[in-house]
Amino acid sequence: MKSNRHLVFLTTIGAVAALSLSACAAPSGDGSVGEPDEFNLTFIQGLAGEEFYITMQCGVEAEANKLGVNVNTQGAAKWDSTLQKPLVDSVVASKPDAILIAPNDVTAMRAPLQAAADAGIKVILVDTTVEDPSFATAEISSDNTGGGLAGFDAIKELNPDGGKVLIIGTDPGVSTTDARIAGFEEAVKADDSFEYLGVQWSRNDPAEAAKLVNAALAKDPDIVGIFAININAAEGSATGVRQAGKEGSVNVVSFDAGAAQVQALRDGIIQALVAQQPALIGSEGVAAAVSALKGESVEKKTQTGFQVLTLDNIDTTGQDYIYKSSC
Amino acid sequence: MTQSNVTTSVNTETSNQRNALTRLASIQSLQIALVLLVIFLVFSLLAPTIFPQWSNLRQIVQNVAILAVLGIGMTFVIITAGIDLSVGSVLVFSGVVSAKAMQALGSQGWGTALVGVIVAIGVGLLWGLLNGFLVAKAKVPALIVTLGTLGAALGLAQVITNGVDIRAVPKELSDTVGYGNVWGTTIPLITLIALILVVIFAVVLHKTKFGLHTYAIGSSEEAARRVGVKVDRHLIAVYALSGGLAGFGGILSLSQFGTTAIAGQSQTNLNVIAAVVIGGTSIFGGVGTIFGTMLGLFIPAVLQNGFVIVGLQPFWQQVAVGTVLVAAVFVDQRRRNAATRGASAKAKNSLTALWSKKQ
Repeated sequence: MKSNRHLVFLTTIGAVAALSLSACAAPSGDGSVGEPDEFNLTFIQGLAGEEFYITMQCGVEAEANKLGVNVNTQGAAKWDSTLQKPLVDSVVASKPDAILIAPNDVTAMRAPLQAAADAGIKVILVDTTVEDPSFATAEISSDNTGGGLAGFDAIKELNPDGGKVLIIGTDPGVSTTDARIAGFEEAVKADDSFEYLGVQWSRNDPAEAAKLVNAALAKDPDIVGIFAININAAEGSATGVRQAGKEGSVNVVSFDAGAAQVQALRDGIIQALVAQQPALIGSEGVAAAVSALKGESVEKKTQTGFQVLTLDNIDTTGQDYIYKSSC
Repeated sequence: MTQSNVTTSVNTETSNQRNALTRLASIQSLQIALVLLVIFLVFSLLAPTIFPQWSNLRQIVQNVAILAVLGIGMTFVIITAGIDLSVGSVLVFSGVVSAKAMQALGSQGWGTALVGVIVAIGVGLLWGLLNGFLVAKAKVPALIVTLGTLGAALGLAQVITNGVDIRAVPKELSDTVGYGNVWGTTIPLITLIALILVVIFAVVLHKTKFGLHTYAIGSSEEAARRVGVKVDRHLIAVYALSGGLAGFGGILSLSQFGTTAIAGQSQTNLNVIAAVVIGGTSIFGGVGTIFGTMLGLFIPAVLQNGFVIVGLQPFWQQVAVGTVLVAAVFVDQRRRNAATRGASAKAKNSLTALWSKKQ
């Protein structure tokens, strides 16, 4: 009995110590050693393990390699500002030269990032932004309003006669998706042949999006188009359309171009994808950080473009725009 | 007269039993404290210029503050052999109602802020009372009741706001409670507030009749009832406490994040429950300390911070915390088995043995 308890205690300590030690073993290979003027960057993803941010990470790492700077990638497992804030605080404590971050909330992440800038760290906002980002060295994102417009144009091309359209969003208060919705709304309201049914919030959860689409199709069986605002909303929307047996009669146009979306495009469940250029956002971010650290002038705001992917171009010119699940 | 006799006998009976048990519980607190110390030392060795600095530790204690407030209520609830899954949602709901109230009053000024605090605590209390009533009077298992209010509170928060976060928080609150320091120091004010609550409720739990009855109900609800503890009323009070503290957490969260963060707090309930259990509170009730819960909160917080600083993916934190959690419950199980076999004397010897070996 007593030796058992003793054993558990020691094992616990041992396990923690071993984990911690393995923790130190990993980064020391590409970390600490280096010239004195070598820059250390930290890239904080909006969400760990999502293809959009993985593709961005690929762009970040490729550019960092090219410019000879160190980069460390971090990300919370959920899109949740209450999880991202402690992460940012810890990164700031580790005193990197620059932080590239996709903030989870325009209000909640402002103060922690302001604190980072006050501590002398260059803050580069990639993808999403915050309220009053004057402290940031640079902002690089897709022209999301334009992306919303592009999404509407794609739906219009598929449904020239008009009809009911719905947006499946993620969460309100995310700067990028809010802009996409604003762009789409602007376009849909200017066109009398379309009836706009509003936004349903899927909380960035595909299962939730599928349920919402099912319910919306039950209420309005004559929906002709769904604009899904990101990967998770699109995966869920495609599932929902399929569950309702509406493939073909409902055109789903999705923002982003992850593997599942491309597959859905090939299967005919999604009809068009509005692909962003996350790798370009990442590499531009690193370039801006390094320029700023070297004291060179930096473009304060950069917007990247889109590529609309359909079955016609997915295997040719559109190929390079498909997001990656590993670098 | 009979009432007072009965109470005295409960006191002696449970305190005898409790002496042995608290002593054992304190061993687990001690073990957890040592685990925390080891983690701390390892990271201090790995990153001596960053990790042990006050600037870093300051942000750890700041980020743990809201969870600590929730952890107090959760410790009480789990000691009664209950569970409260709804804390994160109640926090969000209270924050939403409070933000609505402050918005109606013009969103600025100390008066508005005070109203916001009172509304948040009040709303949280109401959810807690509902939980308590359903658990104690309607006899619905706590897991189900609070799973229900978890969904209901979050859903209603979304109904009230249409899912759009309210960002109108008085500047007075965010500048002081949210990011301010105790006057003349660099200690975060939010940490001091949490610490005061922790001390108050640690005294309530360990030194008052209310606390004693909480342990008694957790050890054996039936026995507590037979010796005259008003079990139903007490359970309602314990869940109301948890709800009220979650409501207060709502105003703290508003101050810190400047938004109702409706999509946030998704893992809060599980993080708090894990901390309580790691801290040596038995999930089967009757045993536990507030101090242990605080230690239990710092393990994940320090691990995450340390992993980020040494540059490891924070996914590892979840692996490490999971390991510690299961080990903690394993130790608790062992202790319970020993106790039911009447081996508490032997267990005491083993403590001595453990201690002498350590030295």
